[in-house]
Amino acid sequence: MTSDTTAENRRVPIRLRVNGSTESAAVPPRLLLSDFLREGLGLTGTHVGCEHGVCGACTVLIDGTAARSCLTLAVQADEADITTIEGLAEPDGTLSTVQQAFADHFSLQCGFCTAGFLMSIAGELEQGMTEPEIRELLSGNLCRCTGYQSIVEAAVELAGTREA
Amino acid sequence: MTADDVDDVGTYPDYIVINKPVNQRPLRGDVVRYVGAPIAAVAATDRYAAEDAVEALAATLEIDELSPVMTVEQATSDEAPLLYPEWGDNKVVDLVGDRPEVRAALDAAPHRFTETYVVQRQTPLPMETRGVVAEYRDGRLSVWVSHQSPHIARTTYAMLLGLREADVRVVCPRVGGGFGGKTHVYSEEIVVAHLAMKLGRPVRWIEDRAEHLVASVHARDQRHVVDVGYDDEGHIHAMRCHVICDVGSGEVFMAGTCPSLVSGGVMTGSYDFPNLEVSTTCVVTNKTPAGAYRGFGAPEGVFVMERVIERVARLVGKDPNDVRAPMILQQSQMPYTMPGGGRIDSGSHQQTFERVIELGTEALQRVQARFEDDPKVRVGVGYTNYVEPCVPTYFATTGHWAGYDAATIRIEPDGGATVAVGVAEIGQGMVVTTRMLAADALGMNLDDVAVVMGDTDRAPYGLGAWGSRGAVVMAGSVVKAAEVVLDKARVIAAHKLEAAAADVVLEDGAFTVRGSPGGTAVTWAEVATAGVIRTIELPKGLEGGLDAAATYEPYALEHFPDESGRIHAAATWSNAAHAAVVAVDLRSGHISIEEYFVVHDCGTIIHPNVVEGQIVGGVAQGIAGAMYENLPYDPETGQPQFASFMEYLVPTMSEIPPVQTEHFESPAPEMPLGIKGVGEAGTIGPPAAITNAVCFALADYHLDITETPVTPMTIRAAIRGSKDRT
Ligand code: FES
Ligand code: FES
Repeated sequence: MTSDTTAENRRVPIRLRVNGSTESAAVPPRLLLSDFLREGLGLTGTHVGCEHGVCGACTVLIDGTAARSCLTLAVQADEADITTIEGLAEPDGTLSTVQQAFADHFSLQCGFCTAGFLMSIAGELEQGMTEPEIRELLSGNLCRCTGYQSIVEAAVELAGTREA
Repeated sequence: MTADDVDDVGTYPDYIVINKPVNQRPLRGDVVRYVGAPIAAVAATDRYAAEDAVEALAATLEIDELSPVMTVEQATSDEAPLLYPEWGDNKVVDLVGDRPEVRAALDAAPHRFTETYVVQRQTPLPMETRGVVAEYRDGRLSVWVSHQSPHIARTTYAMLLGLREADVRVVCPRVGGGFGGKTHVYSEEIVVAHLAMKLGRPVRWIEDRAEHLVASVHARDQRHVVDVGYDDEGHIHAMRCHVICDVGSGEVFMAGTCPSLVSGGVMTGSYDFPNLEVSTTCVVTNKTPAGAYRGFGAPEGVFVMERVIERVARLVGKDPNDVRAPMILQQSQMPYTMPGGGRIDSGSHQQTFERVIELGTEALQRVQARFEDDPKVRVGVGYTNYVEPCVPTYFATTGHWAGYDAATIRIEPDGGATVAVGVAEIGQGMVVTTRMLAADALGMNLDDVAVVMGDTDRAPYGLGAWGSRGAVVMAGSVVKAAEVVLDKARVIAAHKLEAAAADVVLEDGAFTVRGSPGGTAVTWAEVATAGVIRTIELPKGLEGGLDAAATYEPYALEHFPDESGRIHAAATWSNAAHAAVVAVDLRSGHISIEEYFVVHDCGTIIHPNVVEGQIVGGVAQGIAGAMYENLPYDPETGQPQFASFMEYLVPTMSEIPPVQTEHFESPAPEMPLGIKGVGEAGTIGPPAAITNAVCFALADYHLDITETPVTPMTIRAAIRGSKDRT
């Protein structure tokens, strides 16, 4: 049933760091980074809610900057340093400050959007940001459960108390 | 795999007797009634290959286009093409209200108006789309599925696939939201399971968002045609309301017709309003089937009732709250039977209403001061009252299941407990709520209680998560089962303490003899070890084992309407009042919600954070319906005009304001521990409250909104219209 075997069978070698460990793979050029992380590396903490760049569920850090893994091809991540939600907590399982703030403020219900919010905050939240600035910053992440209030509360606390 | 390949799979049953049958097949063959109907499945080793194959297959499809039926008007016109020719019309449900006393009261009323109110189409839209993984191995089918009702899914899979129910296991791990949309047992689940059985290997299907928007249920899409009689004092004497719901093609299990019955049943909510006659018609069209969505008909009914109140107030020159006040239910009227037969057991309707007016009045002044210097911004406050039906019968929705749920408690030898329940976790906090309640009922620490739900092999048969019922039916069954194990535990402890069982009390995880503080104590662990392992330590004649199963079903719940169509279909009723304060920019039409208040009463509160999360999250979805989300179709071609979040506007943090909540607690007299429901409450109020606020703000323009969503376009058109008139 395949139409263009050559294109589909093409593989491009990539080498990148994911949560501190080096990964090498040969991937099809059209493979999304989100699919590479979830299917290729089994890092299913990165969620996929729309695959068109609106919901923010798939947010990861690429070289320290929050980015949408559904709008990024795996081949574009060659040589990049990626952090996913799996890389946020300490290796012993101790929650990061951002995660702990979410737990303290009941900032999740179903949790589907949570990884995206946490990565956006981990990558982009700056000390001293005001609530309107935070709402602007995180308006690229959709949550259907919480009504956002508890997420805003966690982020405001982080902006005020987190060490720079 | 196409329709021919599922010949050996059953057809979905049409259980609801008042509905005309749709005979839904897992894959549609000769007639395809909507964009999004499953017609073929392709299995491949990865998703990219499967999508290539689907594209290739689509190119070979031969389709004869029929003329679509896209609106209520088209569906009910005499020349309408029929979706199901055997019906003779396009009405899947048609119930005509007949209350002569209401018509007489209307005729006698000094004034009357008629109006049509419209609530648009939405979709529940959990952030996690649907997903299914199925495996058939050693004669057993296992299905992991993002679903709200694992056991109902299992029963349906077994029935359609011809398997013994004991040979099907359904697991619903960490469901990423449901909001009603995942109560339905969809075709794709059957097809994936069937493929797994045919291929002898695991098969997975994850819905993408574009698929979700056309293939998962839609909801709302109602119009209400009302005829209202009132007098110069603003007393509303009587109302007739024809609820007309566009349920799409109707091919969904369970059917999406019940919400429209709820709309008429609960619209008068917090008001003493006996003279209501409701008729209900559900039409089929060439749209995605409608189904369950948080609020389940209540937001539509309440929107209409509150807009009617505001219209009457405007016509007689009164403050709308002065029209509401004489009708608001008093505590002395409890229990109060509504015109549709629902019996409101208890509540604080008047107190929540009065409190929200205080909050709204103060907030209005604050916001007016904020925009004082801007003549192009108008500020308004809007109110609404309503009740939330909780713990409903499922029979009206499904024609098969009713109101039952179950729990089993197993005390483990180490003194911990495994508590398994038939309700389900979809992100609404049911696991923590169950753990908290069970620990309390068993006198254990939270850490000693393991909760099991969402796995049909491990949990007792239950109906899952829907209907603002989970806490009540979980509590009802858990408390009963806990009593059974506690009774036996006390006998064992008494034997060890050499006391009478009646004198044994359980405090802080230890059994002691009443009135002997500091005396000998026996721990849960000791009792459990004796009860389960060291049965030699049991009193003579007592058998080993420390477990119990219990079921719960609210006894007063009615599953069938009486001769006049009245039904007490929900066991208990939460109530609330909302106030919205908005600022409307006359230049752009932009509406900003400056402050939002919910004064709520859901009876006894078990877990305050869970309740808060349900209300605030519910309000956000209500705001989405009031102002943003819509699912329009091209009336000529039947094509959906939405394919992504670029068209379906889910509000973000920038649109959803902080929501301030306050609580009253009126325990439900007939429910375990006085608990009521809270899952849907927040969603019901915003369309009414926000629309009322916008009309208040634009009073100079005589705006009388009859349709949601209320958008900047609505505002600008109204301003233009009013200029044209002057
Ligand atoms: S999945 Fe990437 S933005 Fe939605
Ligand atoms: S917690 Fe469910 S989508 Fe955010």
